[in-house]
Amino acid sequence: MKEKVSRYSFKIIGFLVAAISIFPLFWMAMAGFKKESEVLSYPFKFFPSEWILTNYIELLQNPAFMRSIGLTLFVAVVATTLIIFINSMAAYVFARLEFPTKNFWWLYVIMTLFIPSMAILIPSYIVVAKLHMLNTIYVLIIPGIASAMNVFLIRQFYLNIPTELEDAAFIDGANRFKIYWYIFLPLSVPVFVLVGITAFLGYWNSLIWPIMTISDERLYQIMQLLAYFRSDQGNDWAMIMAGSTIAVIPVVVLFLIFQKHLVEGIKISGIK
Amino acid sequence: MKKLSAINRSDKKTAFLMLLPLIGLLTAFVIIPLFYAVFVSFYKWNFYQENIFIGFENYRRVLSDPLFYKAMWTGLKFAAIVIPAQFILAFLFANLIRTLGGKFGGFVKTSIYIPHVISGVVASIIFLFIYDFDGGLANFIITSLGLEQVAWLADVKFALTSISIPAIWLGFGLTTLVMLAGLNDIPKTYYEAAVIDGANAWHKMIYITIPLLKNIFLYLLVVGVTGAIQQFDLPYLMTGGGPLNETMTPNLFIFTHFTKDPYMGYTVASALLLFVILAVISAVIFKLFNSKKMDS
Amino acid sequence: MRKNKLFVVLVSLFTLVILMAGCKGTGPEGESAGAESEETESGKTVIDFWVSWGDSKADWFNKWIDKYNASQDEVEVKATFIAGDAWEQRVKAAQAAGTGPDVMTMNYGSIVFSAQQGKIQPLDEYVDPAIFEDLHDFANEFVSFDGKHYAYPFNAEPGSILLYRKDFFEEAGLDPEQPPETWDELIEYGKKLSKDGRYGLTAAGNTNDLAWSHWGLQAMTGQLPISDDWSKATINNEGYKKLFKFWKTLYDEGIFPKQQPGMYTEIQPLVDGRTAMMFNGSFTFDALRNEYADVVDKIGVAPLPTPDGNYKQPTSAMGGWTFVVDGNSKHPEEAAKFIEWFLAGDPEIMVDFFELSNFSSFTGRKSVDEALKDHPEASNDEWRKILLEKVIPYAVPEPIHAWEISLAYANALERVYLQGQDIDESLKQAEKEINDYIETNDYAGTNPRLQ
Repeated sequence: MKEKVSRYSFKIIGFLVAAISIFPLFWMAMAGFKKESEVLSYPFKFFPSEWILTNYIELLQNPAFMRSIGLTLFVAVVATTLIIFINSMAAYVFARLEFPTKNFWWLYVIMTLFIPSMAILIPSYIVVAKLHMLNTIYVLIIPGIASAMNVFLIRQFYLNIPTELEDAAFIDGANRFKIYWYIFLPLSVPVFVLVGITAFLGYWNSLIWPIMTISDERLYQIMQLLAYFRSDQGNDWAMIMAGSTIAVIPVVVLFLIFQKHLVEGIKISGIK
Repeated sequence: MKKLSAINRSDKKTAFLMLLPLIGLLTAFVIIPLFYAVFVSFYKWNFYQENIFIGFENYRRVLSDPLFYKAMWTGLKFAAIVIPAQFILAFLFANLIRTLGGKFGGFVKTSIYIPHVISGVVASIIFLFIYDFDGGLANFIITSLGLEQVAWLADVKFALTSISIPAIWLGFGLTTLVMLAGLNDIPKTYYEAAVIDGANAWHKMIYITIPLLKNIFLYLLVVGVTGAIQQFDLPYLMTGGGPLNETMTPNLFIFTHFTKDPYMGYTVASALLLFVILAVISAVIFKLFNSKKMDS
Repeated sequence: MRKNKLFVVLVSLFTLVILMAGCKGTGPEGESAGAESEETESGKTVIDFWVSWGDSKADWFNKWIDKYNASQDEVEVKATFIAGDAWEQRVKAAQAAGTGPDVMTMNYGSIVFSAQQGKIQPLDEYVDPAIFEDLHDFANEFVSFDGKHYAYPFNAEPGSILLYRKDFFEEAGLDPEQPPETWDELIEYGKKLSKDGRYGLTAAGNTNDLAWSHWGLQAMTGQLPISDDWSKATINNEGYKKLFKFWKTLYDEGIFPKQQPGMYTEIQPLVDGRTAMMFNGSFTFDALRNEYADVVDKIGVAPLPTPDGNYKQPTSAMGGWTFVVDGNSKHPEEAAKFIEWFLAGDPEIMVDFFELSNFSSFTGRKSVDEALKDHPEASNDEWRKILLEKVIPYAVPEPIHAWEISLAYANALERVYLQGQDIDESLKQAEKEINDYIETNDYAGTNPRLQ
């Protein structure tokens, strides 16, 4: 009896916790269905008094908006793939290989973790300008690929992989890269999901960098477009909320697809 | 950790080749800009005139600015609100999800994580509406309880806490997930043995769960503290750093100088000082983290 | 060991260069023109023009730019519209990298420093000197530095005026044609107009907004918080004490909300009836007339109330926009010629703009004012008339001193009304902060206007 009661109360608490954490998102989606004047109403109202579909429809039919979603998706996917490949390769080296100056390079990489982006914003811009990358898709993808955090996470993961597998491969004459490619990569799915989702989110939500480096509207990133919306539409908050809601959907879907691996990735990676 | 075969030449070459892309990219887009930033911090720099070398003058000005210290202090205070709250909530949520288990546990887990995918900009807008003095949800709840309306963002006593709440909301999903992973990793037998010894739930938590999660806590601490101190979006969009600079986080302080100063030296110097402070804080926590790593 | 490190660094850099070279121009989108192209295919010089208004007036700009491009075959002007959120980062980064535009918009407050630092070039060499004779004195002063003209005015707008709801005045038994003129009257009216769900007055609420929207109020005390030569603080005096007391009363009496409903520049609270009076800028006219046509008739406009009720003193700071030629522009002559055509040429261009923006801002040119005199809408515009008669002639230019000075003022005010600190103490502290700033930054005597 007591057991049953506590199970129910846990369920209720669980439900409450879930409800509170997704409430703001629901509110945002609801606001997209409201009339412009009703987003803020007195007193507070959750549901629209009249459901308006035009905000969502208008956005879904807006070619600039949809193209921007598509392009941002493309940028994020390409960047995420590169991030996984380049950082895991380095992580493998730091986890397994011994070579002179290793400590120096490890420090060199890890130090970059703490550099506030504000400190290097202008210098980074100068670099990409000198490389003639402004207003190209490369400026969106390439500068963010190397990431000390990801190298660190993946290395921790690799440190926990037993060495027996490699020893066998070594005896068979496999070289280091082959071991990385054929043994480590297939084992890395969980940590890659963790790194991948974080990286994808970073690219999907990036705002300042695209605004600084992209002026060609064919290359607008989604958050950039939403920011322009904000200054553009004056204060049509209902439209902005609808736009934000649509922009959140791809990442939520992505998370739902990969969430199983996500916990596993954290579990097996070295941070336990 | 067992080392594989001894150092040999092919290892060295492969190592450098495989590191090359990472080091190259980091050098181009992080290290070179960093050195450039250090370089210009010693100059009166404005892109159009001859740069004038002024030594440590920029640093002297930053270090004699009381607002710089206040901003650093605000960053620390912000971290001190966000991190413990996130830890406690995540720890409770992770345990709750484990207790619930099954599909329902999965549902709760997903709901908790989902805010993590929201960008700071969107979260700021949502919470601006929630904190609206007359039409916002927060005051709706407060007044329904018979209390007086609160100026969430304008009251000196509440502003920093008010902007901490969206930060906690955005962050507790990942924290919970990481803790959950840690919890799932603790062998059941530990608890069973404890029960035989007569331990209650509290004892189990104090003597088994928390010590075994120590490394996770330390990891979350590094990531959380450096992230929280660098918070920018929320105060920028919700309070602009006020009232009375109560929500002026270091990055917002730097940004304000970035947009208002005719010269860039002050901005860059203060950003570099923030870098030093973050690195020191992290080094301390990291050291702790790595030494603990060896024990387990 | 040494050799190794060097080798690695070199190889890394080398690969990087290869990587970049490989990337260039091979992507799905190719490389777009952007700021780098100097010439079009047909051999025209390209003038890049950055506008800081996002896209809201893009169609209007493009319409006239197209006309300019069609009017001659030497130059092609290309406009880029950048939202306010990112303007500063974008411009500073581009200037640092030397990829800035040839022409851009610039607010009055930035002109003197930019000129002093060589960020912008004087126009005099390239344009007909007569165009500056067409300027009103205040506008001419704005764009001048060291005997030269570094910009040409686009528009000007008072940053602080009083907007109020006539219908609420009637409801409260007040004469809707008699807005409050003194600070005491404002407080009295505010009390009468406040009721459940409605505030008497809303104004700047956060530090930033306080710092700039109070320049008009500061001017009423007779001086800015810092002396003209920037050598000492001038905030600890009777004028500021009175101002602080005034603000604190508005807050303590509940005429203000405890938390302002949004940014200073937002007009909604007045439109949806959450407040009866509001301090705001003339830029709100545009939104009011475009989006809230149903309440426009109920809204009245007046100068900010003054301590003694006399409007013939500064009640507002004038801000506004100009076009400038970037200091690194390779085509200063073409750039200046474009500005001359666009802003100093046919008055119709600017009349068209003021029409489109619902006469929410003003011109710096006599000839445009002449043209507006005959304009049926402009000449019948009551709001415009009030501002032209009672606000603009007495307005002060927006100050150019360091932002820290305005912040010290805003913080001092916040300490008083939010935290209840004693006015004398707070002003003393602000005085010290400003004097400390002057000392650490060797600020005394650096006002470029006096040099």
